[in-house]
Amino acid sequence: MDTRRRLVRIGSVLAVPILWFVASRFGLIPGLPSPGAVTTAYIAEFDRLDFWISTIQSTIRVLVSFAVAALVGIPLGLAIGRYSAFADLTFPALEMLRPIPPIAWIPFTILVLPAAELSIMFITFLGAFFPILLNTVQGARSVEVGYSRAAQSLGAGSFQTFRHVIYPGALPAIHAGMIVGMGLAWVNLIAAEMVAGGTGLGFLTWSAYTSGSYAVIIVGIITIGLLGAASSTLVRWFANWQIGWQEVEAA
Amino acid sequence: MSTGTIDRLQRQFENGTVLPVRRVRQLLSIVGFFVLWSLLVRFEVLGFGLFVGPEQALETLLSALGGAPMTEGGATIYAHAAFSTARVVVAVALAMVIAIPLGLLIGTSRSWEDALFPGLELFRPVPPIAWVPISLLLLPSFRSGVVFVVFIGAFFPILVNTIQGVETVDHEYVRAAESLGAESRQIFRHVIAPATMPSIITGVSIGVGLAWITVVAAEMVAGGVGVGYIIFQAYRLLQTDVVAVGMIAIGILGYVSAALVHRTGHRLNRWQEID
Amino acid sequence: MSEPQSVTETKTESEPTTRTDATGAIDIDHLTKIYDPKGEGVVAVDDMDLHIEAEEFVALLGPSGCGKSTVMNCLAGYLEPTEGDVLVDGDQVTGPDPKRGVVFQENRLFPWKTVQENVEFGPQMRDNIEDGRAQSILGEMGLEGFEDAYPSGLSGGMQQRAELARLLANDPDIMLMDEPFSALDALTKEIMQKKLIEVWERDNRTVVFITHDVEEAILLADRVVVMTARPGQVKDVIDVDLDRPRDPEIVTTERFTELRERALSVIREEAQRALEQEESV
Repeated sequence: MDTRRRLVRIGSVLAVPILWFVASRFGLIPGLPSPGAVTTAYIAEFDRLDFWISTIQSTIRVLVSFAVAALVGIPLGLAIGRYSAFADLTFPALEMLRPIPPIAWIPFTILVLPAAELSIMFITFLGAFFPILLNTVQGARSVEVGYSRAAQSLGAGSFQTFRHVIYPGALPAIHAGMIVGMGLAWVNLIAAEMVAGGTGLGFLTWSAYTSGSYAVIIVGIITIGLLGAASSTLVRWFANWQIGWQEVEAA
Repeated sequence: MSTGTIDRLQRQFENGTVLPVRRVRQLLSIVGFFVLWSLLVRFEVLGFGLFVGPEQALETLLSALGGAPMTEGGATIYAHAAFSTARVVVAVALAMVIAIPLGLLIGTSRSWEDALFPGLELFRPVPPIAWVPISLLLLPSFRSGVVFVVFIGAFFPILVNTIQGVETVDHEYVRAAESLGAESRQIFRHVIAPATMPSIITGVSIGVGLAWITVVAAEMVAGGVGVGYIIFQAYRLLQTDVVAVGMIAIGILGYVSAALVHRTGHRLNRWQEID
Repeated sequence: MSEPQSVTETKTESEPTTRTDATGAIDIDHLTKIYDPKGEGVVAVDDMDLHIEAEEFVALLGPSGCGKSTVMNCLAGYLEPTEGDVLVDGDQVTGPDPKRGVVFQENRLFPWKTVQENVEFGPQMRDNIEDGRAQSILGEMGLEGFEDAYPSGLSGGMQQRAELARLLANDPDIMLMDEPFSALDALTKEIMQKKLIEVWERDNRTVVFITHDVEEAILLADRVVVMTARPGQVKDVIDVDLDRPRDPEIVTTERFTELRERALSVIREEAQRALEQEESV
């Protein structure tokens, strides 16, 4: 990429804070906190234990829920994709639940699960679970039957075929599901934290709104955005590491 | 017997099972779900004792469909559903009107991509719900605040998929059109736009899904009317049957809208089928 | 675009294009194409000279990676020469032009348009759709009844015929064909070759036909230009002095065998050299 193009792209990024500054300086959007105020608020937040606890808590919730979603969703998806009897028995019920946005489960989980923490994690889990499940099912179904036949002719048993043919064949689709799942985990986590209250970045942002510290709202948004970008980079990095033989399609 | 029927029969045999057996199994899956739900409530597993069972949920659903107000003195399920749907429709329409042309512009022109995309990328990792507080604060009315957040939810998937769609158009189609005498406007209309259509539809369907998640979350925290609001309000009043009905309603709305996008996409991209 | 056309008109034969003054002469003059000239600098074509008469059928023959497709892309106007010129009837080629039609190796029918819409694409671009013309060309190509089908619903041979029909509807002076039949089965290939010659003899267009199939080149062309492996250059030009029409049985004649041996010996030599080149890297 030549220097001119690079400069334009940097300019595009810089335009965001500049436009923000102009908008707040000249009152184009009444009530919008200025970049200066947000910077001051950000620095102040660094000294508050509450901010760090919220950040760490949200991160842990996402990572744990996502890991559980992958550990449940991938084997389940592979089984649904390959065994039509298993698919018939499980998939219709799951498909019935899928159109319900995960966040709509929150009253149910608060009532049914013993701790608020588990409710929030369950909602986050649901956010990641369905994209991973669906993509895995599709991935397993799209593995060409010729590969399984070749493996069987070479003496592979049913589990070995699964392990060495179906799973690696479905990996690109699984990774695509994981990338979408990570994004939706964050979406639903933030919503759950806002609704359920207590701790976490979602709650921090919401309570900044109710308590009138408007600059902190934007501190929350920026922090959530940074963590969201970091975690999707993490998933992509993991996917690339796991398969060298096929580039992951950027989603 | 038509060839379609023969094909279908053949497929059934290849699967090793005939259709009725599969239908029964699939039905079993649904029935099993309701039985499990009912048992969990009856034996009060975890906190299920606090939640409504399927029988009572069905009863409340029927009376709600009959026009009974969802909560004491409140609106009917139709009113709540209409509000949520209107928000989603307006927000998605707005997102399409802005994101599709923008995506086509960014996808076709490198200089526009350099100028616009890096700046937009800054906003993409922020979950749409995180914008709820700031948009309630900055936008003139509560209603526009919710619609704005839902708009953000639908905007990025449509934008990103449109850009990707344009960028993955095989360049040889453009060459072929050029050699047949097409000008750049004609190439855009006859090659780029139709070739990008499947990606745009994918973007819209993801966008609609996110729009429903966002609208429910926004209505829950911001209150007012809508299915998200009624789910949370019923929870506060401990009317768990209404919570369940709200979840069913939002599920149906989500399913119907996804099917609608799917069918429209099917009609617009008929050429993709192999007949 | 796709208004129903009256069935009676489909009978009219596509009127043979009258070409009184022969157009479509090509001059390749010191053509050099280097990819990535600032970096590694891969020389795809090196100082190539070739003159092709108007209405001549020339085959470009050579091993894969010999720069045949690069030459084709320069003729089509998709690539700009690094040095040298490509002239058509004395005018410099500066970009793609409907006078130079292209048939791609993998067919590039627009999958989102029906067969008829594809065939009418060129005329449509000039607001010049004639009723019934698409049908008569499709009929000539044996594709009647498939006007409203999408390309994905056609077999490989039919797709290739539809692409040829799309080209003919545009009435180009020059037809540039990049291994158009290499993906077809032997029988379909033979039918397509016959069809192509038929069209060429009637309309007298210039054809530049790229292939790696020696027999196909000799069977079809007036002259076979054998190219060297990278960097691409003209190694040998073979005048094919076989009478037309040429039957497929002609491959058994003595003259054909001679010509084939001559082409093959050049190619073998080149392939050997390319192999040694690779090994020395």
